[in-house]
Amino acid sequence: MHELSICQSMLGIVEKTMAEHPNATLERIFLDIGRGSTVESTLLSEAFEVITSGGPYEGVELVINDIPIAGRCRSCERDFTYEEFALGCPSCGSTDIEIHSGLELDIKHLEINED
Amino acid sequence: MSKVNIEKKILSGNDRVAIENRQRFSDAGLLVFNIISSPGSGKTTLLEATLDRLAGETRILVIEGDVSTERDMDRVRAHGADGIQINTGGGCHLSAKMIRDVLGELALEAADIVFIENVGNLICPSTYDLGEDIRMVLLSTAEGDDKPMKYPSIFHEAELAIITKIDLLPYLEFDVEKVGTEIGVLNPECEVLKLSALKGEGMDVWIEWIGKRLEMKRAARPVAGE
Ligand SMILES: Nc1nc2c(ncn2[C@@H]2O[C@H](COP(=O)(O)OP(=O)(O)O)[C@@H](O)[C@H]2O)c(=O)[nH]1
Ligand SMILES: [Mg+2]
Repeated sequence: MHELSICQSMLGIVEKTMAEHPNATLERIFLDIGRGSTVESTLLSEAFEVITSGGPYEGVELVINDIPIAGRCRSCERDFTYEEFALGCPSCGSTDIEIHSGLELDIKHLEINED
Repeated sequence: MSKVNIEKKILSGNDRVAIENRQRFSDAGLLVFNIISSPGSGKTTLLEATLDRLAGETRILVIEGDVSTERDMDRVRAHGADGIQINTGGGCHLSAKMIRDVLGELALEAADIVFIENVGNLICPSTYDLGEDIRMVLLSTAEGDDKPMKYPSIFHEAELAIITKIDLLPYLEFDVEKVGTEIGVLNPECEVLKLSALKGEGMDVWIEWIGKRLEMKRAARPVAGE
């Protein structure tokens, strides 16, 4: 399970960003995690709690935007969304498809309190 | 409450190091493979058989990734490879930084090919670019023909998929054609080979594939002094 090391990489970026706001407290972290990204959101949240417990980010809220796998069929030219990777276009069954989203593993923004 | 924009890939740190590694490999004129599969799919056995076939003509380095032990490194050394073992101590994948940390100990300039055997795992390694030229996945016939759709991300990312242990096909229900079709849907550019590293069937095609890629790599390399 690599959620722990993904979480550490994410916190590395957060720490660098927070160093630019020395008097602020971190409230929320916003992530985009695609369903085809190999990262399990629940495991990531658990890893986050374990890693941050007892430290300065204990209690910070991790907000995960769960992004479904979406693409377009080159045969019938329809857009589609899957819950899981699937074989072919849900409308016409063609296997000539392209995937546009669902592989994200991104940190989007932070919410901080500057007082 | 205020908002601080970041908009970064979580693994942007790994990706940066992977770009550095890729540059170092390329400067040394190397063709680099990142081999990914479940434990026991036959990665080390394929390396042993490949080393036997290429001995003498191609100089090969191997970087072995495992949670613990030097066992795989000992196996490939016995077949003439130089290289180094990385123990991740529990980690389920190699990262670009782990590769960078051992590059100083390898005679890169003296080699033609580097094979990186990743930690046995079909999920986590697919997310970490190491700086390789070719990401390849092995699927053994004994694992079952439903695996591409169950572990789609590695098949989506790989440039080459090898179905291993085809000598076992008579004893199993494994539909080679179906696996080829499913991989084609996940990744139309992915080439699919099938072989038995133990019995030798299909090894010729794989050795030719390596030779072709080695030539392409050499042709793309700027000649010194030009
Ligand atoms: N029948 C058969 N067994 C194989 C073949 N390749 C590997 N094996 C066996 O599969 C087991 C695991 O192989 P190994 O190379 O250590 O897998 P790795 O964990 O992916 O490095 C060993 O017992 C090998 O002998 C093959 O082509 N045919
Ligand atoms: Mg091995």
